[in-house]
Amino acid sequence: MFGTKNKSILIAGCGRLGGSIAGSLSEQGYKVTVIDPDKEAFRKLPPAFSGFQIIGDATDLDTLVKAGIKDTDILMATADRDNVNLMIAQIGNVIYEVKQVYIRLYDMEKQQLVEGLHIYPIFPAKLSIQEFERLSTIDIKEELL
Amino acid sequence: MKIVIAEGKTKADFLIGSLLKKKHSLMVINEDRAFCDYLAQTHKIPILHGDSSKIYTLADAKIENYDILIALSAYDSDNLAICQAAKRLFHIKKTVAVVSNPKNVDVFKTLGVNTAISATYLLTQIIEQASTVDILLHTISIEHNKLVLTELLMDKHCPYQYRQLQEIPLPDRALICCVLRGNDMLPPQNELLLLPNDKLIFLSSPSAQDTIIATMTGRKTK
Repeated sequence: MFGTKNKSILIAGCGRLGGSIAGSLSEQGYKVTVIDPDKEAFRKLPPAFSGFQIIGDATDLDTLVKAGIKDTDILMATADRDNVNLMIAQIGNVIYEVKQVYIRLYDMEKQQLVEGLHIYPIFPAKLSIQEFERLSTIDIKEELL
Repeated sequence: MKIVIAEGKTKADFLIGSLLKKKHSLMVINEDRAFCDYLAQTHKIPILHGDSSKIYTLADAKIENYDILIALSAYDSDNLAICQAAKRLFHIKKTVAVVSNPKNVDVFKTLGVNTAISATYLLTQIIEQASTVDILLHTISIEHNKLVLTELLMDKHCPYQYRQLQEIPLPDRALICCVLRGNDMLPPQNELLLLPNDKLIFLSSPSAQDTIIATMTGRKTK
């Protein structure tokens, strides 16, 4: 397990999702860097967070380089806007060759824009539906989504 | 040509006016309801109110029948998503985006947008060219920046005045197209004797431009 703990993780967007994952991975010993344009957003990080905080626009190449994208193993794009996440993810995967890129997408249709790349989408809507199915035991037909 | 104009305000308004004058057929998609109403009153063109970066909006607009899409949103990330959707999902051959961050000109090209335009980027290029060389009269990029036309004035410092044109050493991928003398256009023959105040027009790759300017000013390349 020691090998995985040395992995560096770059998280773009310190909202509830980005902030929680950043806090948890930092506590587990991963090397974590978080980018957010709003300094206040970093208040969501737990007190034990020992990673780096970069204030800036994560679609800007200089900000990403400053945040260490060239040596990042895992990139997570968790900004509010889908299009911002799509841009960050593609810069990471195509330009800086980050092997593992995760992206939060509210709009499931937009997955088509990153098909064929090593970019793995996370859909809150889809996860909520699955959770609803589990809690209610009512089956939602996937093909209707 | 059939052109889609996605998002934008002042730029879109101006572009729509000038493209209509040139008899192009347009389709406008815009998120701003008030702007759509204004356009509907001003021009007789199809207008769709909606978020251009949503795939269903582009499908409703039937953009697959168009030749070019121009994305003018103030957000670079929106323009990227719009152009990529148009290209990959609706097979529009040519996409053009305006970008606010000049660094995104190259990012957009790498990610598949045909042309990205940044006012700051263009301004920087013009200022750099204007401030480094007095003899540079004009420079124009053509063929998507693969080639540049450069017009240089032969001033008193130029080492090739009163020499033959063939004595000018040219880098690879460069040629002299024409020599302007007063009101005359002279064909670029090897034996042509160059005189002070001649203007030479070069066609070259952008990387060869610096070498040509250095040669003509008698300076060493940087």
